[in-house]
Amino acid sequence: MPSESARATTAAEARFRIDAPNSQPRCVMVVALDRPSETVVKRLAKLPWSRAGFFTASSFASTRPQSGAGFSMQGWLSDLAGRTKDLIDEVAAADLVVMVASAGEDAQAASLIGEACQLRHVMTTALVLGGSQTAGEATSAQLRPFADMLVVAASEDYIADMLTALRA
Amino acid sequence: MLRKEQNDLLTQTGPGTTMGRMFRCYWVPALLASELPENECPPVRVKLLSERLLAFRDSQGRYGLIDEFCAHRGVSLWFGRNEENGLRCPYHGWKYDHTGQCIEVPSEPVESGFCKKIKLKSYPLIERGGVLWTYMGPPAEQPPLPEWEFASVPANHRYVAKRSQECNWLQAMEGGIDSSHVSFLHSGELNHDPLFKGTKGNQYNLGDLKPHFEVVESPGGLYIGARRNAEKGGYYWRITPWVMPSFTMIPPRGDHSVHGHFWIPVDDENCWAWSYDYRVTKPLSAAEVQAMDAGKGVYVNFVPGSWRPAANKDNDYLVDRAAQKAGRTYSGVAGIAMQDASLQESMGPIVDRAKENLVSTDNGIIMARHRLLRAAKALAEKGTLPPGRDPEHQRVRSAAVVLPADQPFKDAAKDALVARAGVAHTSV
Repeated sequence: MPSESARATTAAEARFRIDAPNSQPRCVMVVALDRPSETVVKRLAKLPWSRAGFFTASSFASTRPQSGAGFSMQGWLSDLAGRTKDLIDEVAAADLVVMVASAGEDAQAASLIGEACQLRHVMTTALVLGGSQTAGEATSAQLRPFADMLVVAASEDYIADMLTALRA
Repeated sequence: MLRKEQNDLLTQTGPGTTMGRMFRCYWVPALLASELPENECPPVRVKLLSERLLAFRDSQGRYGLIDEFCAHRGVSLWFGRNEENGLRCPYHGWKYDHTGQCIEVPSEPVESGFCKKIKLKSYPLIERGGVLWTYMGPPAEQPPLPEWEFASVPANHRYVAKRSQECNWLQAMEGGIDSSHVSFLHSGELNHDPLFKGTKGNQYNLGDLKPHFEVVESPGGLYIGARRNAEKGGYYWRITPWVMPSFTMIPPRGDHSVHGHFWIPVDDENCWAWSYDYRVTKPLSAAEVQAMDAGKGVYVNFVPGSWRPAANKDNDYLVDRAAQKAGRTYSGVAGIAMQDASLQESMGPIVDRAKENLVSTDNGIIMARHRLLRAAKALAEKGTLPPGRDPEHQRVRSAAVVLPADQPFKDAAKDALVARAGVAHTSV
């Protein structure tokens, strides 16, 4: 008499695994943090996705004053059509926020997005694309405090693979 | 998730398959040198990448890895006589040398030269670090000999073993780069296993069950860093290198020896889980070797006369529900290796990755698949040889280190991640 494990783990038994969806589509918010990343995200947005939403925060650096007060929470997050979006509302609707940055670019928008995610208990993944190691590290340093997962990828193809793997 | 065609591509490694072609770009461990302990010892059956082979050591100590079956009538040469610089088929006396060349066909006149027309497929087989390695690809593309650090230290500084695992290589390998399961599945061993217990790093592991991860591409594969909170705002980092296609090194713990794995396909539904332990600066102690022999650490006890773990799916891995309930083991299965193997085998011979639900902390696995697919495609379409063949790619180390919060592991631990003769691993 074979054990339950021996019987259950055969290829033949795999036929009887329940063939029904075991999850609901996840809402993934993808945010470009700079202009080069925005170009990448726009290409990405043209692919078919279930529940992925694509945004840009690339105007953050120009909107945000270099120091001191006066920064407005409004106006710097938009969808790819240029419509202004409310960060908190968008984060609240997401299961995962993916921040996309290009090595050597300013990624300080990650601080506000990261804080919004912490507030709403939403996981964050940050992706740094391309560039030299030094440039990549400067960008990573800005992202690190606000990312549950940080990935430094050589190729932008990785984003599509990652979103597919995550069922976005 | 992976689409079915992607899953098929990564999990099928037989002759003529895309991933099989890629595995055939590397030197892979074939068997332990101790399995062929002396000249003219009995041959050993070896199945690798869905090819049935036979390993033997001839009268001069030359290693051969040849097609298992005699070219005459197809009988297994495992029954052969290893004598006078060749392996003789016991059926009609055909004899082969270590390259698979037939050197004698008794029924034919020597003068006919008939035997020169007979040659079995064979692969080079070389010894390094107590392991016999083979290269199963085109001779013109043979890479430099393997340069893994564990194989280069003195013999008494290392321990190498293998066990059979009854599932596809990829689901076993993916367990090796999945750092987040350790704090759950292996939590009992962090406190009790003689080859793991008693380190400061364990306290960090068990004290922070929600590590943050960083995945960074390296020339040969990946570095996967897991950071947990340490004192004074610092971070405890555990950094795992993965080198293509299937090498990993687990970050060290205290002064314990460092260990790691290769996962090598036997066929599409079985693999070899190779494990090694080593220490650069001093030999393994007698107590450590005794513990490894006894199946502690990442090792197992075997069904006598086989490489099959004594705890296996035929006995439900000797699951102990009382130990699970009492917290001595997290899953009820004893030992790190079988805790991993039992769960990986429970997925079935080849897990259907179209049904999985990965989360962001699985990015190490996602990136490894991405790199494997990318390399396999480049090899198939352009003939580009994959990363991981260059000895520089193989001179990597894992590390466990506490760093200030503002220092990235890849830079701060840069020296710690490179093999250096005479320098111990960086460990906490």
